[in-house]
Amino acid sequence: MRKVGIVGIGHTVFGNLSEFDLVDIMSFASADALDDADIRKERKIIDQVFVANVGAGLLNHQTAIASSLVSRIDLEPAMAETVENGPASGASALKCGYTAIASGMADVVMVTGGEVMRAVTGWKATDFVATLLHPEAEYNYGLTLPAFAAMFTRLYMERYGLTEEELAMVAVKDHDNGIKNPYAHVPYTCTLEGIYGSPDANVVNNLIADPLRLYNMCPVSDGAASLVLCALDSAKMKHFKKKPPILIQGIGAATDTHCIHHRKDPLELKAVALSAERAYKMAGLGPKDISFAELHDAFVILELAISEEVGFFKKGRAREAVVQGLTRIDGKLPINTSGGLKAKGHPLGATGVSQVFELVKQLRGEAEEGRQVGNPKHGMAVNFGGFGNNVVTTICSKE
Amino acid sequence: MIDTDVVDFDKYRPAKLEVYAYKCPECGTLHYPVPMICKDCSARRDPSGVLFSSWEKVPLGGKCSLLSWTRLYALPEGFEDRYLLFGIVEFENGLRASGRLLVQDPKIGMKLVSKVGVVREKIGEDVYGFMFDRPG
Repeated sequence: MRKVGIVGIGHTVFGNLSEFDLVDIMSFASADALDDADIRKERKIIDQVFVANVGAGLLNHQTAIASSLVSRIDLEPAMAETVENGPASGASALKCGYTAIASGMADVVMVTGGEVMRAVTGWKATDFVATLLHPEAEYNYGLTLPAFAAMFTRLYMERYGLTEEELAMVAVKDHDNGIKNPYAHVPYTCTLEGIYGSPDANVVNNLIADPLRLYNMCPVSDGAASLVLCALDSAKMKHFKKKPPILIQGIGAATDTHCIHHRKDPLELKAVALSAERAYKMAGLGPKDISFAELHDAFVILELAISEEVGFFKKGRAREAVVQGLTRIDGKLPINTSGGLKAKGHPLGATGVSQVFELVKQLRGEAEEGRQVGNPKHGMAVNFGGFGNNVVTTICSKE
Repeated sequence: MIDTDVVDFDKYRPAKLEVYAYKCPECGTLHYPVPMICKDCSARRDPSGVLFSSWEKVPLGGKCSLLSWTRLYALPEGFEDRYLLFGIVEFENGLRASGRLLVQDPKIGMKLVSKVGVVREKIGEDVYGFMFDRPG
């Protein structure tokens, strides 16, 4: 297969952007990526555009947004499609972009993910995300993603002895990174005492889905991110001289049962393990080769569980790594250097693209002061769809 | 006067309050919710019963044990309760299901029984589903 490099990256701030138009936000991030790649004037070299989004139809009353985006940034007659794969839409769109280039169908591809979820009330946004559950056996009951994450957490606590304090420590670590990220939705630090074990903690950090509290889960966010990819063997690489390309070394994806109750062991996230295994195999790498990772912590329990499924830590032991500081920026294996979904935010369609944006920033050595990992070689991103029923893992490397 | 031979009163009666598993006609495996292909023997289902057999509906419910649970405070649109309790249970036949919990002090592993009740109210339609409570 052809080698594919990331040659341009763009990002909007994440937060409440509901006063802006969805396609405008996505266009802003895309234009940012064109500028980063230094091809705004030569943008017509882009053969194909993949747009990741979940809720345009339901939340923003807009459809066919890939066509709209292409027109807004004057990329016609590029091929353009929208990819909807729940919260894993971003990495799925990247996988489509990678495949289009690797197959020879395209040389230069743009991948843009975006979402405006705060155009509706939190009540409605919660319902919107819950529509990815099984309609008859789950959604109808009023079950939500936080409800399943809470039941997962309770089982994990029972089996491995995880404490609420350790969960809070993950959030504190993520916010320590997020405050240094100019794109973060929640750019402030929190102390352990502020969210756990103090009289104020019960007020500040209220229960959302017992045992999960506010600081155990990501905010509802708006925002967009964009990447430009190019085949390293293409003559069009001559346009991308400004910065060295970052290689997409491996991409793997996998699915698991739609109904959570169908999983023999509800604590096993098989799609995470298999997607990582496929990405490792394609990259010719293993867990020990990874310098840092962006893991889909829509709920902080997932940062722990995913880090175990991809082989960084043994089952039930990730909490020890957090306590020992191994996953901090200056630790042995920094996790969620961007602040993760917890602090940076989680605009569904943008998230997978944003995770890879962070991999590129780190691998280029361009991360902001205080959150740059020391000389990283390989970064991993895990984009987790549904409650683990559709997962995409991407490994990027310095060329 | 209403001609009871002509008016179908049955259609105005509430449906029997049951949640069903579906039995694969080839290998007998029970499924909940119903798939289109049996995971055990690959038999196909045809909801219309024209091309392939429609599968037998078997009432699902009874004694079960609680695998995990939560008390959800942030409910989605359509629910106006302050919170609701939810759980995942395993029935004695090995099938599992998610549903509403009626006990206020749940514990993993506790014994429960299922009932069927209104789990969501939509305009013009009540949605029935599992509710799990203490036995007796």
